[in-house]
Amino acid sequence: MKLAWLVLTVANCLMLAELAGRDGSAAPAPGKWQEPAAALADEVAAILGPGQVRLTIRNASSIPTEEIPKIRLLLEEDLKAHGVLTSGAESANAIRVTLSENTRERLWVAEVIEGNQRQVAMVQVEPETARQVPAGTGLTLRKQAVLTARDPVLAALETADGLVVVEPEEIVIYGHAAEGWKEQKRVAIGQRKPLTRDPRGVIVPLHDGQEFEAFVAGMVCEGSYERGPMAGDWTVHCREGDDPWQLSVPPLPRGPATNQSESIEVTPLKAFYNSTRDYFTGVLAPSLGADLPQFYAAAIVPRPAGSGSLAALLVNGIDGKVQLTEAGVLEPVSGARDWGSDYAVLNTGCGIGAQVVASGSGEAAADSLRAYELPAQEAIPASAPLAMDGTVMALWTAPDGKSVFTVVRRPVSLAAADKYEVDRVTSSCN
Amino acid sequence: MRWIVLRRVAINCVLAALALHGAARTRPHYGGTLRVEIEGDQWQRQGGLARRLVLDGLTVIDSDGSAHPALAVEWKSENQDHRWQFTLRRGVHLQNSEMLTAAMVVTSLQRSCQADCPWTAVRVVGTSIVFTGDSPVPNLPELLANDDYLIGFDADDGSRILGTGPFQQTGEAANNDVQRFIANENCWQGRPFLDEIDIHFHRSIRDQWLDLSLGRADLVEVPAEQLRQAHEQRLTVAVSGPVSLLALAVADGGVLSDANLRSAIALAVDRNSLSNVIFQKQGEITASLLPSELTGYGFLFPADRDINKARELRGGLTPPVLTISTDSSAQMQLAAQRIALNLREAGFNVQVAAPGTVHRTDMVLLRLTLASNEPRAALESLLRGVGVEAPVVDDSSAGLYKVEREFLQTHTLVPLLYLPRAYAVGGRVRDFSLSADGTPLLAGVSLQDVP
Repeated sequence: MKLAWLVLTVANCLMLAELAGRDGSAAPAPGKWQEPAAALADEVAAILGPGQVRLTIRNASSIPTEEIPKIRLLLEEDLKAHGVLTSGAESANAIRVTLSENTRERLWVAEVIEGNQRQVAMVQVEPETARQVPAGTGLTLRKQAVLTARDPVLAALETADGLVVVEPEEIVIYGHAAEGWKEQKRVAIGQRKPLTRDPRGVIVPLHDGQEFEAFVAGMVCEGSYERGPMAGDWTVHCREGDDPWQLSVPPLPRGPATNQSESIEVTPLKAFYNSTRDYFTGVLAPSLGADLPQFYAAAIVPRPAGSGSLAALLVNGIDGKVQLTEAGVLEPVSGARDWGSDYAVLNTGCGIGAQVVASGSGEAAADSLRAYELPAQEAIPASAPLAMDGTVMALWTAPDGKSVFTVVRRPVSLAAADKYEVDRVTSSCN
Repeated sequence: MRWIVLRRVAINCVLAALALHGAARTRPHYGGTLRVEIEGDQWQRQGGLARRLVLDGLTVIDSDGSAHPALAVEWKSENQDHRWQFTLRRGVHLQNSEMLTAAMVVTSLQRSCQADCPWTAVRVVGTSIVFTGDSPVPNLPELLANDDYLIGFDADDGSRILGTGPFQQTGEAANNDVQRFIANENCWQGRPFLDEIDIHFHRSIRDQWLDLSLGRADLVEVPAEQLRQAHEQRLTVAVSGPVSLLALAVADGGVLSDANLRSAIALAVDRNSLSNVIFQKQGEITASLLPSELTGYGFLFPADRDINKARELRGGLTPPVLTISTDSSAQMQLAAQRIALNLREAGFNVQVAAPGTVHRTDMVLLRLTLASNEPRAALESLLRGVGVEAPVVDDSSAGLYKVEREFLQTHTLVPLLYLPRAYAVGGRVRDFSLSADGTPLLAGVSLQDVP
C-alpha cells in the first residue's frame, strides 16, 4: 500500500515537473510536430507519389528557428515512409514548405511543384501558449487562477460545497471535479429591466457558508445548500428588490502582525446601489454620520494604534477622490491618485496587519494590483504592482479576509473563448 | 488536464476590437456629449456610424470572429444549413417604446435585401424567424451581423429611423450638417454612458483635425494615408486591423470578355507604387481576397507586377479605350490615375472617368469592407459584395484557399491593398474601441470630465 502511494506520488511529481517546465518561451516537446508533419507528408505524398524531390522549408511563423531542423527531419522521415525521397539531388519535382500562421492557428503549406504544375497541400496546427508567472518585491502579491469563463463574472463565493458565481443574468453553481471546478447548475436571476453596461454584483456568505445572499442591480438572490444522502444541492431564489448591498467586511486584525489573535468586531455595513448606473448612492445602513458622496467602492480598514479609532471607512467617490471616514468626518487620502475604481482589504499579517489592494488607473493595456498601507491620511505602496494580464473588472475580499478575489477581462487579442478569469490574490511578508 | 492552454496566435490585433485605453480600471462615468466628425455620410450602408448607433442585428460578430447573440438569443440550423431558426430576444423595445416582434424583424429583413438575399424565404414561426434557402447558408449567423441586415424602420411621420440600438435619432438637427443622437434609456443592452452624440458629417479631414486640436471635436477620422502624419502630430489614434480591401473590379463583357486581357490587367497593376506613393506605406499589399493574417496562405497569391507577362498576354492587341471609375474621394481618384498609368505602360489605352459622369465603366476601383474576422463568413461577405452569391461551405484553410483561387482565376476582381480604418480621439474620451470591421463602438465610450 505504502509502495503504491510512493509510486503514485513520484509519478505525480514527475508529471508536475514536466508541466512546470513547459512555457511559451521554452521549446515545445519534440512530439509536438509529429502529427502535423505526418499529416502534411500524407497529403504531399498523395499528390506526388513515390520519387525524388527537393525539399525547402521557409519559416513565416513564430516557431523558434531552432525547431526548424527537427521539423525538417520529421517531414523527411514521413515522406520517406511514403517513398518520397528528399535526397537533395537535382529533380524536376520540388516541395516548398512554408510554416505560416494566422490569427487562429498555425498553418503549414506545401507547394508541390511538378514541372510547370503547382498543387497546394495544407495542414492546420494549433499553437501552444505561455503560463505567465508574476513576480514582485517587498510585500509580495501572488495570483492564482480559480476559474475562467466566457461570460462576465461580477462576483464569486468559494464555499466548502462549491463555487457560486454571479453573472449578469444568472447565478452559476460549480462543484469540485478532478480537473477543477465543473459547472453544475445555472439559475436565471430574472431581471425585467435592461442591465446596465457596467454591471456589478456582490455575494456574501451567511450561516458558515451554507447560505448566501447575492445582489445585482434591482435584484436580490438567496441561496441555501441542502445536504442529501449522496450529494447536496443548492437552492436559489431571486426577487426584485432595491435592498442595500452588504459591503464586504472580513474580520479585521487588531494591531501589527505580532498580535494576530485578536480581531475587531465590525457591524455589517450596507450601502444603497443606483440600479441604473454603476455606483452606490452614498447612503449607508446604518449611517456613519458623515454625508458620503456617490461612490464606486467602500471598504472598512483597520486604523493603527493611537489613531483614536479601531476602523474607518475608505470610499472612492465617482469623482475619483479617495476619502477616509473616521468618527463622522471625511478626510481626503493622498497617494491614491493612481488607484482605479476598485479596491479591497487584505489581511496580510504584515505591517499593521491589513492592507488595501487597489487596481491601477493608468491607460496601459494591462492592469495591475498593488497593496497600500494607510498609516495616516496617506496611501503608501506596500508591494510591487502585480500584473494581471487584462483589465480588472471587480475586486472583493474573501470571507476569511486572507485573500482577495478579482475578475480580469483578458485582452481581446488573445482571442480565447474564455474572456474572463477569476483570480485569487494572496500575499506573503518579506 | 491541459496545463498549456491552446491559444490562437495573435500576430497583432488584426481584426479584433481595439481597446484604446485600459478599459474599466476607473469605472466609466455617465453623462456628457460626444462630438464626432466624419467626412462621409453617417447613414451609408456599409460602416455608417449612425446605423450602428441606432440599429441592432439579430447577431453580432465578437472579437473572436464568431457570431454572438444580439436580437436573437439562439439559433439552430437544420436540413444541412438549408433551414435556420432564430429565436427572438424577449422584451426588446424599439426607441418609440413599441415591442419588437418577429414579424417586424421579417419585414425589416425582407426590405433590406429584397431579391439579393442569401436566403430564399424568411417567415415568422411563433417568436422565431425562420430562413430557408435553396442552397445551404452555413454562414447565416455571421452574415446577419452585417450592416445590410440591421433591423430598422422608418418612423410613422418619416422624421427618423427607429431601431433598438443604444442611441436614438432626435429627428431634429442643429443645422444641415449635424445630427444629434440621444441615449436610449431603455436599450436592451443597457443605457449607454454618454447622454448624447453629435455627428458632424461632410466635414473635411483638415477641418476635423483642426476641430480636434481646438477641443471642438472628440472623435475624428484618420485616413490610412495620413496615419503617419497623425502620429507625427501626436494625435491619439486607434487603428483597426486590415479591414478595407482596395480592389479593381474588371468587367467580363465586351472587349474584356477575353480572359487573357483581364489577366494582363491583373499583372500590370503595380501594388507597390499604390502602397508606397498613394497610401504612404499604410496598406498591406495583397493579391488574395482575405488578408494573410486571417488565413496564413496569402503568399500563395503572387502580388508582384509582371509587365512583360502582361504585354505578352495582351498579345499585340490594342483594345479600344478602357474606362476606370471610382468614388469622388481624392485618394481614390489618385489611386485610379496611378492604375491607369500602370495599364498604359502595359499597352492598354485607359482613361479615368470623372466621378458621376459615366454609368458603366470597364473597371471600377472599389473599397470592400471585411465584415467579419471569421474567415469563411468574411470571404462569403466579400464575394457577395461583388455579386457572387455562392455560399462558402468548407471552412478549412484548404477549402477557403480553393474558393479564393477559383474566383480570382476569373480575373474579374484584382485585390490590391488592405487598408486599416483609424480614428483620433480627444483627451477626454475613455474606453474607445473599434469593432471587427473598424467601426467605432460608441455605446461603451464615456467621457472623463463628467459628471
